[in-house]
Amino acid sequence: MPQVRIIAKNFMDMVASLPAMKLDSLYQNAYICEAILRSLPPLAKKYVVQILFFDGPVSGKLLEQWVLDDGVTKHRVAIDRLIQLRIFIEVTDKKRESSYKLNQTFQANLQKHLTNGGVLPRETMAATVKLPSSEDLDTYALEQWECFLLLLISSGQAEKPTSLSSSMMKIFQRGLLSQRDRDAPRLTEGGFQFLLMDTNAQLWYIIREYISNSEERGTDPADLISFLLELSFHVTGEAYNINTLTEIQRNTIKDLAELGLVKLQQGRKESWFIPTKLATNLSVSLTDSSSRKQGYVVVETNFRLYAYSTSKLHCEILRLFSKIEYQLPNLIVGAITKESLYSAFENGITSDQIISFLQQNAHPRVAERLPSVPENVTDQIRLWEADLNRVEITPAHLYDEFPSKDTFEAACDYAREWNGLLWEDSKKMRVVVKAEIHMNMREFLRGQK
Amino acid sequence: MTSVPSKLYSDDVSLVVVLLDTNPFFWTASSSLPFSQFLSHVMAFVNSILLLNQLNQVVVIASGYNTCDYIYDSSSDASQLGLENGKMPSLYSNLLQKLEDFMIKDEKLGKEQSQRAIKSSLLSGSMSMALCYIQRVFRSGPFHPQPRILCLQGSPDGPEQYVAVMNAIFSAQRSMVPIDSCYVGAHNSAFLQQASYITGGVYVKPQHLDGLFQYLTTVFATDLHSRSFIQLPRPAGVDFRASCFCHKTTIDMGYICSVCLSIFCNHHKKCSTCGSVFGQAQSDTSSASDLKRKAPET
Repeated sequence: MPQVRIIAKNFMDMVASLPAMKLDSLYQNAYICEAILRSLPPLAKKYVVQILFFDGPVSGKLLEQWVLDDGVTKHRVAIDRLIQLRIFIEVTDKKRESSYKLNQTFQANLQKHLTNGGVLPRETMAATVKLPSSEDLDTYALEQWECFLLLLISSGQAEKPTSLSSSMMKIFQRGLLSQRDRDAPRLTEGGFQFLLMDTNAQLWYIIREYISNSEERGTDPADLISFLLELSFHVTGEAYNINTLTEIQRNTIKDLAELGLVKLQQGRKESWFIPTKLATNLSVSLTDSSSRKQGYVVVETNFRLYAYSTSKLHCEILRLFSKIEYQLPNLIVGAITKESLYSAFENGITSDQIISFLQQNAHPRVAERLPSVPENVTDQIRLWEADLNRVEITPAHLYDEFPSKDTFEAACDYAREWNGLLWEDSKKMRVVVKAEIHMNMREFLRGQK
Repeated sequence: MTSVPSKLYSDDVSLVVVLLDTNPFFWTASSSLPFSQFLSHVMAFVNSILLLNQLNQVVVIASGYNTCDYIYDSSSDASQLGLENGKMPSLYSNLLQKLEDFMIKDEKLGKEQSQRAIKSSLLSGSMSMALCYIQRVFRSGPFHPQPRILCLQGSPDGPEQYVAVMNAIFSAQRSMVPIDSCYVGAHNSAFLQQASYITGGVYVKPQHLDGLFQYLTTVFATDLHSRSFIQLPRPAGVDFRASCFCHKTTIDMGYICSVCLSIFCNHHKKCSTCGSVFGQAQSDTSSASDLKRKAPET
C-alpha cells in the first residue's frame, strides 16, 4: 500500500521544511528525536546509531564503505534525508571532502535514551480512575473516526454533532469535495481515493491539513508537531491528567478527541485524557503501513459482495464502486456490476485501488485464502477498466503516392524526428502522421521537390 | 502490484532473542571484561534495538550452567514502562531482578546435583527455548516481526551438548532463523561458528572488549532487510569438528554409523543410537584406511 508511505513521508517533509531554528528547538524534546529516528529509512537509522557515540565528524567516504556496492543509492538517500532533517551537519574540511557530524542536541538526547532506557512522557494518573477496557476504547476510537469521516463526506448523515468548527471542516474538505453553485458538494477524484485508503493514511492526511492550517489559527506548527509526536509515546488505555498540558495542547486535544485519537473524561475535580490506538499508532505508521483492523468484505466468484458491517461509512464506501442491493442489520449485500464500476472509473478511482481495497478489507474467513478476492473478479475489474481506454483517437493525415522511395524514406525520417509518425507502409509507400505536424510536413515535402 | 499484502509488517521490524551467558565459572575467571560492564553494554544494545522501531521486540534468555530461563520480554513489559521506585527505569529493574533470581536458582540447582565439573553453560537449552519462543511468534498469526537469535557467549563449548546444539541449529535453519553470535571468550567457539555459518548469521569475536557496545550496534543491530546491502564481517574460517556420541569428546576423525550417521571415536559392535550391527573391522590394527573421515556438515 503505497499511499500511507507517501502521506507519512509528506509529513516528515513538512517537519524537514521547518526553519532550522525551529527544527533545532524541536530536538530538545527527546520523544521527537526518537520519533524522527524511527521515521528514517533503515540505513539512515543505522548510521545514526552507529556513530551515536562518536564525538568528531565522520567522513562520508567511511560511511559509504559500510554499504555494499549495490547499496550506493540507498546510501545517498539516507544521507540526504539526514541532512534535510538537520540530524547530520555537513562539515567540509580542507581536503574538500565532506564529513558529517551529528546534531548535538539530537545526539545527547539519544545517548541519554540508550543509557537510561525509555521513559514515558508523563506520569499516568493514580489508579483511582476507572478506565475503559481496551475493546471499549477501540470501538470508541473507531466510532469517533467513522463519524468524522461521514461528516466529512456528507454533512447531513452524521448522527452526532461535532465540536470541530465549520471552518475547520471546510479546510479538511478542501481537495476532497468540490461544490458547484447550488448543487450538493461532490467528492472529487482525490476524495474518492481518500476514502479507499486505510485508516492510518487517512489520519495522516487529516493531520497534515490540520497542521498546515495551524498558523491561521495562531498556533505554531512546530508546537503541534511536537505534541502529536509526543502523544504517540503515551500508553494506550492509560489516563493522563489534562493539567499537565500547556494551553495550546489543551486546545488541540479537544480537536483530537473529535478525531478519536484520545478520549476525554471528567471526574469530580480533575479531567483526564486517554490515548487510543489511533494516537499511539501515529508514529508507527510513519515507517510501517500495518493496519491490523479486521476486514469485513467477502467477494464471491459471481461478483456478489457481502460486507459484514453495520457502519454507514462502509456502506457509503462500497457504494462508490458497487450496486448496494439490500442492507440487513449486520450485513450489506451488493453486486459489482459493469455500470457501478464505470461510474467509479468516471470518478477517477482506478481498478488497482478497488482491488487493493477489497483485498485489504477481506473478511478473516476469506483473507486466509489465496487469492482473497476471486481471480475472475479482479481480472474482470481490470478488463472493464481497460475497456474504457480501448480506442485512442488521434487526428492524423495520410500521405501517399510518393514519387520515389527516397522521398518516402526522407518523409518518414522527418516525421520520426518530430515524433509524429503513427504508421507507415513501405511497400505501398503510404504514411500517416499526426495532425499537429501536418504543416511542417507539407513544407518539408515541398522543399523535397 | 503485489497480489496480496501478505506481510503487512515492513521488512525491518525485528524480534531479537538474546541468549545471555551467565556462567559464573567463566565470568569469575574473565579479567578483561567484568560481568557488570558486559551487562551494561548489553542493556544499551537492547535499548538501541527498541529505539530503532516501535514494533521491535527483544527477548533475553539467560543460560546458566544448570538451567536457563526467560529474564526479559519487551512485549510484556510495555505496559509497565516508566519510572519505578524513584529513578530506575523498568527495563533495568525488571531485568536485574529476574537475573538475580535466576542466578540464585542456578546456583541452588548446582549444589543439589552431583559435583560434576561442568564448566560450560547450557547453550543448547537456551537455543531451544529461543526457537520455541520464535515458533510461538510464527504461529501467532500472519503479522509477526522478523526473528533472529543473538548468542552472547563467553564460556567454552560443552562437547556433551553437541547433538542438542546441532539439532537446534538445524531446526533454526529450517525455520529460516539466523543465529548471530558474539563470542567474548578466549578461544573461538566451534558451536557458534557452525551455528552462524549454517543459519546465515554473523559470527564475531570482538578484538577489543571495551568497545563491545559498538560491535553490537554495528553488526548485530542490523535488521535482516538491511543485511542485503550492508557490509558485515565474513567468516574467517569455521571449525567443523564434531563430538563423538560415546565419550562426548571433540574429534577430527572417527567412525560413522552408515545407517543413522552417529559418530563414534572408536569401533563398536553395535550402533548405540539405532542398534544396527556393524561388520567386523577388516583388521584389528587400526590403520588409517579403516578410519572413515567424518565429512564436514553441509
